[in-house]
Amino acid sequence: MSNESKVSSSSTSPYSSDSAAERAELSEIDASIRTASVFFVISAIGWLMIGTILALMAAFKAHQPDFLGAYEFLTFGRVRSAHLNAMALGWGSNINFAVGLWIMARLCRAKVDHKGVLFIAGIFWNIGLTVGVFGILRGDLTSVEWLEIPQYATPMLAVSYALIGVWGVMAFRFRKGNHVYVSQWYILAALFWFPWLYIVAQAMIIWFPARGVVQSLTNWWFAHNVLGLWFTPMALATAYYLIPKVLGRPIYSYYLSVLGFWALAIFYNWAGVHHLIGGPIPAWLISAGIVGSVMMVIPVIVVGLNHHMTVVGLHREVWRSPTLRFTVFGAISYTLVSLIGSAMALRSVNEVTHFTHFTVGHAHHGVYAFFTMIMFGGVYYMMPRLLKREWPSAGLIKIHFWGSAIGITIMVVALQAGGWIQGLQMNNAEIPFLQIVENTIPWLKARSVSGLFLTVGHIAFGINFFWMLFAAGAVRAKAEPTLLTKEGGAA
Amino acid sequence: MDVYDYKELWPIIILGIAFFVVTVVVLYWSAKKGHLRNFDAQAKTIFTEEEPEGEVSDEFPPSRKSSRSLKDRK
Repeated sequence: MSNESKVSSSSTSPYSSDSAAERAELSEIDASIRTASVFFVISAIGWLMIGTILALMAAFKAHQPDFLGAYEFLTFGRVRSAHLNAMALGWGSNINFAVGLWIMARLCRAKVDHKGVLFIAGIFWNIGLTVGVFGILRGDLTSVEWLEIPQYATPMLAVSYALIGVWGVMAFRFRKGNHVYVSQWYILAALFWFPWLYIVAQAMIIWFPARGVVQSLTNWWFAHNVLGLWFTPMALATAYYLIPKVLGRPIYSYYLSVLGFWALAIFYNWAGVHHLIGGPIPAWLISAGIVGSVMMVIPVIVVGLNHHMTVVGLHREVWRSPTLRFTVFGAISYTLVSLIGSAMALRSVNEVTHFTHFTVGHAHHGVYAFFTMIMFGGVYYMMPRLLKREWPSAGLIKIHFWGSAIGITIMVVALQAGGWIQGLQMNNAEIPFLQIVENTIPWLKARSVSGLFLTVGHIAFGINFFWMLFAAGAVRAKAEPTLLTKEGGAA
Repeated sequence: MDVYDYKELWPIIILGIAFFVVTVVVLYWSAKKGHLRNFDAQAKTIFTEEEPEGEVSDEFPPSRKSSRSLKDRK
């Protein structure tokens, strides 16, 4: 049997096989992962709320330094680092575990065995993170960006992650059939990449510190790759699953999706070095980083084109679906933020944006407008299928969408416009530095306003989620596999 | 950076190369297993009897007001 026939024979109808033993019912798979996934979503929303409060504090402090200034544990350096870790490892990683593992289970058609292990590992992950964030606020943070969690909390995070990640790998190993959908590639790769990055960075910076500039190099290799090789693949996996799934239309070009994945896998690893443009490291290494960053245009264009062509002619359906409103917003943001990121890696652009708020705006563009919005979409699709209940309030979903969409748009525009002006002024030796700092204040105030929009959105999301979870009797039961009926009208 | 200091970079350069090599090996494996062929069939593997191709599977839930009026009509 040729390779081609091997794949096609096993992938044509694995869900509708005549053999009941071979046929995997999605509802059975959903039921098997329900406890762990719901736990991860609850944890993620908890961290989202904590991270939002910390973000608001940090944002206000940027233009109002006296705000909560009398409390040592609420000084800017600690609050800002606590916010970053609460969002990245609390919200981001928990939601990756919830949505990523659920999609993996469905695509592998594998019911979850030993779900207790997954659940316990999740509990320990969150305990480790709580200790870590508390340690940051207590003043035990390291001075390494993205790795601020104190040394005493990281082993628990590493062990917990190993147990969670291994489950995903085992699901892939024992999948039914030979086919591998592109989302499985992304998730599987992310499950390998994240521990690789985390262990190497911890070892070379915290546990057995390399000397001098190598630490900086490792730091930015980690910090950039944790976005590109942990959050990005999980979000793209989710988008590649949800967009065709919700629309009932296969992805426009599966060939392009595979090309996009392999281009990301090959090029992204080098991109982080561009954070050190102008720094004391070999010029060839920075040039290699710039090449890697610019080469990322290939997977970005490929993914953007593929998503766009898949939804062409179905924009009304996208707007009527809470899942796709968020997911398509995130997918469009992916194209924009990635192209801007590639441009920022060019030396001529970087000499303006480096050390400015432009970079902060870019980071939020990626982590929120792209990653978080897609994951919100994932939760809106996943939860009704796990709980067999309808979302209780369409109004709260709309508040969530508009709060998040308006909030993040204001934030990105304000920080990038303000950051660009700041960069131009910093390159002009005739403008005093203090004046440049004062000039940024209106932009920083705009960021605080954007934070209020985001907070409203997150509160609406939290209320809707816990209403659905706990007010079981008051929430309409899910009757059909495609739970949402048309009689209720559109958004 | 002189020659002595350059040695400090070797761990990260070697890890970067290892990262690249692993990616290429997995790409080779996937090609050998036939995952880079028959793309149309693979694109449809996400659809199931419960969530079939050709059906939109997500919309906004009905507002509570319209839910009540539907119930009243029944």
